[in-house]
Amino acid sequence: MGLRAFCGDLPPRIPYWTGAVPVESLPLPQRATLLWREASPGDVGVAVGDSVQTGQNLAREGTGLFMSTVTGTVEEIDSLQGADAVEYAVVGIKTVEVDSYDSSINGIEDLANTAPEQILAMIIRAGFPGFDAVVQGATVETLIISALDQEPLTAVNAQVLLERANDVSDGIAMLSRATGAKKVVVAIPHNSAHAADDISVDQAEIVKVRATYPNGLPEILAKKQGAGLLLTTERNGTVGNTLVVSIEHLVGMVSCLREGRPFVNKIVTCCGKSGGELKNILVRIGTPVSMALDNLDVKLPPGGKLIINGPMHGYACFSDEQPMTATSDSVLVQKPAEVHRFESTACMNCGRCSAVCPVNLEVNLLGRFSEYGIFDKCAELGAENCIECGLCVYVCPARRPLLHLLAHARFVVKEETVEK
Amino acid sequence: MKAADLTVSTGSHWHSGARITDFSYNTLLALIPAIAMGLYRYGVCAAGVIGTAVASAMIAEAAMQKILGKPVRIADGSAAVSGLLLALLLPANTPAYMVVVASVIGITIGKLCFGGLGANPLSPALVGWAVLRITKPWAGYLDFDLALINYDLGFSMQYPLAVLKASGSSGLQDFNTWNLFLGNQTGGIGASAIVCVLGGGLYMIARGLVRWEIPLCFLLGVIIASCLFRLVDSAAYAGPLFHIVTGNVMIGAFFLSTDNSSAPINRWGMVAFGLCCGMITVVLRVWSVYPDGVVFACLLMSLFVPLLDKLKATPIVVRPTRAQITRKTVEGGASS
Ligand code: SF4
Ligand code: SF4
Repeated sequence: MGLRAFCGDLPPRIPYWTGAVPVESLPLPQRATLLWREASPGDVGVAVGDSVQTGQNLAREGTGLFMSTVTGTVEEIDSLQGADAVEYAVVGIKTVEVDSYDSSINGIEDLANTAPEQILAMIIRAGFPGFDAVVQGATVETLIISALDQEPLTAVNAQVLLERANDVSDGIAMLSRATGAKKVVVAIPHNSAHAADDISVDQAEIVKVRATYPNGLPEILAKKQGAGLLLTTERNGTVGNTLVVSIEHLVGMVSCLREGRPFVNKIVTCCGKSGGELKNILVRIGTPVSMALDNLDVKLPPGGKLIINGPMHGYACFSDEQPMTATSDSVLVQKPAEVHRFESTACMNCGRCSAVCPVNLEVNLLGRFSEYGIFDKCAELGAENCIECGLCVYVCPARRPLLHLLAHARFVVKEETVEK
Repeated sequence: MKAADLTVSTGSHWHSGARITDFSYNTLLALIPAIAMGLYRYGVCAAGVIGTAVASAMIAEAAMQKILGKPVRIADGSAAVSGLLLALLLPANTPAYMVVVASVIGITIGKLCFGGLGANPLSPALVGWAVLRITKPWAGYLDFDLALINYDLGFSMQYPLAVLKASGSSGLQDFNTWNLFLGNQTGGIGASAIVCVLGGGLYMIARGLVRWEIPLCFLLGVIIASCLFRLVDSAAYAGPLFHIVTGNVMIGAFFLSTDNSSAPINRWGMVAFGLCCGMITVVLRVWSVYPDGVVFACLLMSLFVPLLDKLKATPIVVRPTRAQITRKTVEGGASS
């Protein structure tokens, strides 16, 4: 459970992890599962029984990029409905021990003499996420490199900053050239003093950000740095001009483009029980969560929670076969007794939710309007801006499922916008 | 993927541990010194009033929730708090039937008719009190000079605000501000224990259960308004300190005006609310027929809460809004 202060501390201080958490490599899984967001099995260009290479594009011609992170044989092609009502294409691959790499990913040796478009294309081809809008032709004005982890109990970026601060300047040089960003900002936690000296960058501005939640969330970083909207794709086009890249992905780009290898290994912070020690593991993308749990020697408690991407805005899995993706930062297991239970109480109008909301929403009203299906009011109050940080839920004394209500309102408002 | 036996929900998966009962139980705790002072002063009569008010409020809430077919939630303590606050405003020898009428009306009409905790536009305790105050035949019981005529507690047994009303600030020679602050004055059972109420209020702020904006601005409002009156005629009107340490101002600032559902929640709304409550209090003390105006000021300002809550920070756009999507589509359409 979270921190319980004697003094009512608003906003609640939920600190990020600081300090070293050494990384241990996990072996290759026997079977890897790859997820492709907003795609259906029909978009997959391989069939069951085909053998695939690491880095190979599994997408049908012209449907985008869906990269295999392992070498092996396709066992299963399926689809899955995510909690956000988005369809995922699922491909299960039986892996072989030794990787053979797809030849379309090449290293870039002479950065200065390579065209920016070519660098960018190679970064995207190597499997780094978050460039959808750039692919659709949006321009990047501001590039924010975040050395903060998004969540408490996560030590991915913290560890990368400790280990590989030297590669950061190379990465920035590369990525700012590739994206043509006018402004580059490196956000580092306020309490990591020594890393600031290690990072020597001429073309970027280094800012210290207080290492408490939600300051590491991309939307908040962009807001605090006075940048524009985050780059996102909408059904009707792209919006925004700010790209936030985690430092783990940034140094990943440096290594991948040096060696001409795809981005297949991800650091994930695991926490077997609340208050327990953190452990960083390096896994192949597509590894099921159960392997991480075995490594921790944790049995899933019946009725407990398995949370990916942190206790505040992470999502609870329904299965331990869920694979890790390129954006999975952490795994947390909660015992049934630790699981926070929502209650069907009316809002008592204490105002804490609105006081903590980082985007200034009137959450008390939005929660009620959403509960009673008055969605035009939700739209008026700006429900679309909820970044699902979960702080309102964290502080609500009536224990209302506010994020659920807000997400529902956002979903409906969005659907109605599209229909109009 | 095979589903395992797991709990699934949206975030956050942590919780601060706050409960609804934090507010009510801590209010009860914070008011214990004021209750103790009341019991010490007025003895068993005060205990009777407090007991009657709390019990009838809780019974009324439970009965009403049963009748309305809602879950019975008296354990959340909010009814007990309403009953207690009502009792602390009353003189020690208020007849029991009046106490019962006030707290039952406060709870049923003031709270449950609007949907219960969180939905009431007015604070139930204040509604109950106001009903007594405006019921003509009962007004005498709320006149502290008449009601407490049989007590001699070793200090002036005149209600300071009544003296002010009758003879202007020149009649206040007998009152020493420090003594008044220590609670040596007649008045409501708990409301007159100024220093105890202040201590309780500071405890509530320290626990984060009462946000500081409303109490601070309430007191500021009292100071501003009384200074303005002083500027006009310093002989006729009492000074700000006198206003703060008499009557219901202290309990009003910390406990009555800060009732969650009948106060604004956005910072500037709270500031405006507090200032107005304080200023209206002084205005009512000076110009109305009643010696004290705190309760009516709070009730009046509560009616403006929906309006005051419009004084809010604008939502920060981090996600494209409807308008931006449309604009982008037009641009996109033009370029492709
Ligand atoms: S989850 Fe949404 S509504 Fe709640 S605090 Fe975060 S941004 Fe605000
Ligand atoms: S925190 Fe919960 S109880 Fe308080 S105003 Fe928000 S929704 Fe209502």
